[in-house]
Amino acid sequence: MVAEKEPLMKLVKIYKRFGPVVALNNVDFEVYPGECVGLVGDNGAGKSTLAKIMIGYYQPDRGEIYFEGRKVRFKSPKDARQLGIEMVYQDLALLDTMNIWRNFFLGKELVKSVGPFKILDKNTMKKLSADFLREIGIRVRSVDETVGVLSGGERQSIAIARTVYFGAKLLILDEPTTALSFKEAEQVLKYINDLKKKGLGIVVISHNIYHVYEVADRFTILDKGVKVADYLYKKDVEPQDIIDIIVKKKFS
Amino acid sequence: MEKEKHIYSLRLKLAPLTKMNEFGVFISLFFTVVLFSLLSKEFLTLKTWGGILTISSEVGIIAVGAAFLMISGEFDLSVSSVFAVSGMTMAMLVTSGVDATLAFLIALLVSAGIGALNGFITLRFAIPSFITTLGMMMFLRGLLLATTGGFPVKIAGDYPILDILAGRILGDLRLHAVWFVTIAAIFHIILTLTPYGNWTYATGGQADTARALGVSANKVKFINFVLSATLAGLAGCIALARFRIVEPTAGIGLELEAIAASVIGGCSLRGGIGSIAGAAAGALIVGMIRVGLVLAGAPPYWYSGFIGVILIGAAIIYKMTRGKHIRW
Repeated sequence: MVAEKEPLMKLVKIYKRFGPVVALNNVDFEVYPGECVGLVGDNGAGKSTLAKIMIGYYQPDRGEIYFEGRKVRFKSPKDARQLGIEMVYQDLALLDTMNIWRNFFLGKELVKSVGPFKILDKNTMKKLSADFLREIGIRVRSVDETVGVLSGGERQSIAIARTVYFGAKLLILDEPTTALSFKEAEQVLKYINDLKKKGLGIVVISHNIYHVYEVADRFTILDKGVKVADYLYKKDVEPQDIIDIIVKKKFS
Repeated sequence: MEKEKHIYSLRLKLAPLTKMNEFGVFISLFFTVVLFSLLSKEFLTLKTWGGILTISSEVGIIAVGAAFLMISGEFDLSVSSVFAVSGMTMAMLVTSGVDATLAFLIALLVSAGIGALNGFITLRFAIPSFITTLGMMMFLRGLLLATTGGFPVKIAGDYPILDILAGRILGDLRLHAVWFVTIAAIFHIILTLTPYGNWTYATGGQADTARALGVSANKVKFINFVLSATLAGLAGCIALARFRIVEPTAGIGLELEAIAASVIGGCSLRGGIGSIAGAAAGALIVGMIRVGLVLAGAPPYWYSGFIGVILIGAAIIYKMTRGKHIRW
């Protein structure tokens, strides 16, 4: 059913090498709106490199990138961000030393004019961030709270919420639940499911199939820079099947 | 029971206060004021405070820049040498006939250039700024001694810029005390109320995370290196305006005093946490100790010993009030 729509992002024959190491060898990849793709592979498979090409952190040596049907070239993450492509990293989600609203609007601060000067519009930022978090079901005591006191799950959720608030259409999540407790992971997964329903495209990267099996609709498997399987729909595969594919490839 | 309840509600009421960035410096200020007013009747007079503010101003202006840079996660140990280089540049230019105002501006420019070099080396080669600026501090000091042969440079004559920098207002109160308070206020506002301040906190909190969230962390650090050196240069010119003479050894030890003032004021050595108002108050404590000891008739040798006690005491207070989850 998703196949009828146009892909949100489409990568064609992406080739990238770092010195003598071929990190990605002609990899194709698609993600559709409202879909969550699990990008799975062992360490060094090229998952992170592929993700960093999607967000404009790396530029491919060869290959084409299409976003919403148009061919694009990203010179930096800023270009990708302008189109609504955002990545949330496992350990770089938010700043522990700052409070929630300052994190929420970091780099996109709202200002008001006081005479000739522009100063932070604190009250509006507090209100908007508190309202948005409540609206999407993330409960925090106060947006003045320092992020350092929050749980890992709250942090991930707020980091994701932040990108959604600023108009993310494609969200790339790097090991979003790896460091979380079972209960926290449940919360984040539920939240990712809500976003899917809102029509966002989501890519979840993990080396552990069990961490993404719950939330992803289908799986793409990379091994040593080569795509070894794609369009594995959850209804058709069990986690063990995917592990088998990865392991078989490794020893073949 | 009733009493416990009372204490509990008092603690709840005080909680927002202890959570403030500047809590430790309030306690330190209070402690220092009480102590010296007990030791000397003259301590709590307007005349004394004019002197304290004036004496605090040089280290205070440096501390404002040092704290700003520290909050963005970097150190500048070269401020003491920049302080001397700037004063020496201005003095040498004036004695060779350059207009004093122009000489002042050139001195600031040279200082800014040193800051830019500190920033470039630190960021381009990913060296800890502690090392870069320690090297810069030693290099500049050597340069100063070599070019002057160890002799001080005097300036003669009256120039309006000298009065603007450090003219006498009333008693011991001099104009640079006004500059200090103004600069501290401006940078406090920049840090707390502008997007740039937000980026500075973010950069020092965790530079990689700040980058992932869209902040140009290296740009922020670079600008703050320039800022720190420029303010140190300004302090150097102020010292020249005050004494009309600059020694090639001027300012030795100021870098640690500025860092001590920043830490007393609540700055974290790891960056991301701190306050400019706090650092300014820290510098004020340094001035109070200096003046207070003289008034109390104590040998001035106690000066650095006192600062040491306050520094450690403030650090303990911050650690206790900020809780475990805030690294410090």
